[in-house]
Order: sequence, then structure tokens, then C-alpha cells
Amino acid sequence: MIPPEKLKASQIGLLAVPAVAYLVIFYVLPLTWLLAHSFAGRSGFTFDSYARFFADPFNWRVIGNTLRIASLVTLVCLVVGYPVAVALAQAHGIAQVVLLASIILPLSIGVIVKAFAWQIVLRRDGVVSQALMALGIWDEPQRLLFTETGLVLGAANVFLPFMILPIYSVVKLIDARLSEAAATLGATPAYRFLRITLPLTLPGIVTGVTFVFSLAVSMFVIPSLLIGDRFQTLATLTGRAFLMMRDEQLGSTTAVVLLAFAVTVVIASTWLVRRLGSTE
Amino acid sequence: MAPVLPFLDIVAASKRFGVATVLDGVGIGVARGEFVSLLGPSGCGKTTLLRIIAGLLTPDDGTVRLDGEDITRKPPHRRDIGVVFQNYALFPHLTVSENIAFGLQSRRVDRDEIRKAVAGLLDLVHLTEFADRSVRLLSGGQQQRVAVARALAVKPKLLLFDEPFSALDRKLREVMQIELKRLLREVAATAIFVTHDQDEALTMSDRVAVMNRGAIDQFAEPAAVYHRPATSFALGFVGLSTRLAGTVRDAPSNGEVLVETSIGSVRGAGGFVTGTPVIVGIRPERIRIGTGSGNSAKATLTDVVFQGSKTFLHFAASSGDQFLVETSDPPRIGLEPGSVLDLTWSVEDTLLYPTESTR
Repeated sequence: MIPPEKLKASQIGLLAVPAVAYLVIFYVLPLTWLLAHSFAGRSGFTFDSYARFFADPFNWRVIGNTLRIASLVTLVCLVVGYPVAVALAQAHGIAQVVLLASIILPLSIGVIVKAFAWQIVLRRDGVVSQALMALGIWDEPQRLLFTETGLVLGAANVFLPFMILPIYSVVKLIDARLSEAAATLGATPAYRFLRITLPLTLPGIVTGVTFVFSLAVSMFVIPSLLIGDRFQTLATLTGRAFLMMRDEQLGSTTAVVLLAFAVTVVIASTWLVRRLGSTE
Repeated sequence: MAPVLPFLDIVAASKRFGVATVLDGVGIGVARGEFVSLLGPSGCGKTTLLRIIAGLLTPDDGTVRLDGEDITRKPPHRRDIGVVFQNYALFPHLTVSENIAFGLQSRRVDRDEIRKAVAGLLDLVHLTEFADRSVRLLSGGQQQRVAVARALAVKPKLLLFDEPFSALDRKLREVMQIELKRLLREVAATAIFVTHDQDEALTMSDRVAVMNRGAIDQFAEPAAVYHRPATSFALGFVGLSTRLAGTVRDAPSNGEVLVETSIGSVRGAGGFVTGTPVIVGIRPERIRIGTGSGNSAKATLTDVVFQGSKTFLHFAASSGDQFLVETSDPPRIGLEPGSVLDLTWSVEDTLLYPTESTR
């Protein structure tokens, strides 16, 4: 092996060639094709398809659906995932192994299998309905399947690991003595959390939010199986346009709009992390 | 009149981690305004004791009383005990003043009052021009001063230091020791200081507690710890010494005993039964070169180590035993390695300890 300090920058750059080539062939080119299609009119370049898309109130409802569901999924993942990440970082030995396995192993189960499993859980005679009846919260069985609540619950379950792991990796690095030092200065556990733990885990939270939001904003299989055709998001609309309506221009347009939202969120959250980092 | 309780009073504190007993029935009393060091090697339980005092650990047995109040089970944030941690544990996302203000803010002290207190503390630790700087951009010595100021800000009843100088280089450490001593005198603080550095403990403390394997071997003024170590562990851990193995041969009733060693008979003070195996210890500055009354030995000079104001002379007796002699005024002649010289030390300076026990 050549020692790293002997490598020139250009030689190190060679290491990136396979990944760059792969991305260009299988990602950049199709994406460019998609982008080009959305701007293609009969007489050349045009914004027509975007004008038509944004003129239709139905599409605004679809955008609203997409952002609302993605935000709710992200919120549920954050609320459920944050305590798990902290517990995981503080666990030792076998407890940590079991926790980590139970977070990572579900990733190996396909999303379709999970969505079908949620169909069983969420239907009228499903576990959730029966449990809520037994607790006296519901008077009669109701189905959560094909509702937004059911969709959010199912999607949050699938994406939860992508919230837990980035937060965990940040919590793990926080010096435990910081909280102890705050305690000896008279800070209550709640005050310690707000002033020390939360600000220091913010980068992990932002990463997790970015992950889950970009996954949830573009999910296709889960809404198809858990809520059905009557509820459209940008991703399911894109799928419908390409697969059923054979309208490539509409499909390209919705795909580009979706991409624009996802990229905006990623850039905004990265910027936010930088901002927070620089005030420290 | 009822006996006055010490300001900090720890009675029979024990702590076990699994099968390991880290603290074994430790008791210690610290007076108000006193500066006490817990001195010992790593693993002796000194940090565990400190954490029990701070409330970061709960002892399995025993009680901790501060200012007459039993605080054994009180959570740390209601104890009013400040801690300066080993690596300072400064809040990395806050500035110097925000770090110092933290304790006052958590107690919801009035904003103007906080500003005034922080300004005063910054002045006290000479960090005024660094007020708005991130603590991550400070040097080790500056971080250390921030940690002290942060702990002082809430005016704690008691200040604890967990090896606060261990990350500093030797020169800076000596400066900081003097500075901290001055600072604590200015605010009239009661302080407990954990260290494995005997020089630090002897320099700074009013009293030193020498800790060994979860117990306190000796709790006394620095001079007493050095000149009259209570155990052979204290003799070995604090300062240098010559050590000889021997057996008590005769114990007349005058308080003196006769010990048979490989260099011959040695007289010392102590109440030992005949036949007891003992360790004989002598401090290096207590041995004189030349003949005289008391104990004596003939030994060959092997090394001369010049250290400026003092010189260490290493000797070997024909039995193989090593002698260490410290002198500030070495004889001008006859100091070549290989010369055989007479060594003399008094009976009072002959320290005796039972061999087996380290307590």
C-alpha cells in the first residue's frame, strides 16, 4: 500500500471514480431526462406543464397532503425516536446489543411486507381497534386502515431507525460529565435536558429529520397499501402518471416538484446545522 | 457542651461495584474553611469518595453530613456543592460567560445580578477579555479557570476538585496551584481536592488524607504525613525513603525495640512483640554521612544525582540493601562512586511498620 501522505490529491480523487460513474449513469442521466421532459412542449422549451400543474387546485391539495403526511411522520419519529436514542446511548452490554438489533433488524424486512402487516394491525377487527375498545376509548370497532392516521403510524414505523441512529450517534459522543457538572451547579433534570442535552443533540436531530422527511415525502408503496388511491401524494401521483395515465410530462413535472421540496428541506436543514454550529 | 460536628462529616461510607469494594467504611471530618486533599494512587477510591460527597454516587452504607444536615440521599442539584471536574466538563456550546452564568441561571437569579456576578468572577480569574469567546478556543489553563469560576458562581458551601491540574504541563500546574490557593483564600471556601500527586497535596492542603485500597490510611497535616507516615503504604507513597526488611529481636520496656536486619541491628521506636516481621523506613534527608550516635551502616556509594539545591546519594550495603541519602551540602571530597562511607541516623527517625499490614 502507498502511504496516504504520498498520494496526490488527484490520485485520491481516483477513489471516487466508481461512485461518480455509477451516479452519473444511473442517477444524473435519468434525472436530466426527467427534467428535460417536464420542460418539453410541442414547439420546444416551455413552462406550460408547470403552469398547468400549479393552476389545478387538486394538485395543491396533493402538495398539501404530501407535506402534511411527511411532517407528521417526521414528528412521530422524532417524539418516539429521541428517547430511544438516548436510552440506546446509555445502555451497556447485552441491553445495548438487544436494543440495537431490534432497531436495525426490522430494516431487513421489505417495506411491502411491513405495509401488509400494518394492514392487518389497522383494520376494523385489528389489534389497535380491539385494544382501544378494551381500554374503553372506543365504543365500537373502527378501522384505521385507509385513514391518514393509519398511514402516519405505518410510515413512522418503517422510517423510525433513520431517526434513532443519527441521534444515537450524537448522544453517544456527549460527555456524561457535562450533565453531572450542570447538576452540581443546581440544574434540575429538566433544565439540564433543555440547556445541555438538547442543544448538543441538535445536529443529530436535524440529520434524522432530514432523513425521515426526505424518505416520507417521496414514499410510494406505503401510501398505496395503507391509504389507497383516493388519497394522493406527489409520489403516488407521479407513479400514477407514469404507470396508469401514461402521461410522461405530468409524471416528470410532479417528480421535479417533489424533488424540489425534498432538496429544499435537505439544504435548509444543513444550513440550519451550520448556523447552530457557528453560534456555539 | 455537645461536641462540635465537623462542617463536612462522613461516617463509615462504603461503596461496592459488583464484587469490588471501592470504599470500605471511610470516615472523615472537614472543618469549615479547610483545604483537604485526598491523596492516593488510581483505584484507591478517592474519586468515588468525591462523587459520593457531590451526590453523583450514593454510598451503599454510611452517611454524609454537610453543615449539620444529612445529605446522603439528596440529589446533586440540591446539595450546594461545586465540582471542578478532571477535564473541566465545560459546556462546549456556550461561551465563557454563559458557562459561568449557568448555575445562576438555573437558579433563576435576576438578570442584572447575574451580569454583575459574572463580571466579578471573570475579573477574579483574569478572563474578562475572553468573556464572549467559545470555551473550545481556550487553552488548558484558561479552561481550568473558567471551570473554577463556574463552580464559584453559585457560592457553594463546599468545593470539590477532581485532579483539576492533571491535564496541565508541570510549569503551568505550579502556577495554577498557587493561583487556586489564593483564589480559595479570597472567597474563604471549604475545599476538597483529589490528587495522585503528592507534591500537589503537600503544597496546597491544610490536611492530607492518604487513601489506600478503599480506606484512609492517615489524615493529618502535610508535615506529619511526611515525617510520621502512619503506615508503610503512606511511607512509600509520600516522599522517598530507604526501606529495610527485618524482624523484632528484642522489645525492652523503654518503648524502643531492636530489629535484626540484613545490615545488622537497628534500633527504633514502637510497641512490637518480639518476632514480628517489620519494615524499617528512613527518610533520605535524615541520614547523615559520618559516624555518630544512633543507628549506623557502612555502604558503598553507587550514584550521585545532582538536583540543584539538593543532591541525592545512592548507596548499596554489602547485604545488597539500597540506601538513599539527601543532602543540601554534600562533602567536597570522597564522593566518587565506589567509596565506602559511614551512614548514621537517629533512633527517632527510624520508622517501623508491621510487614504484612498496609493499614
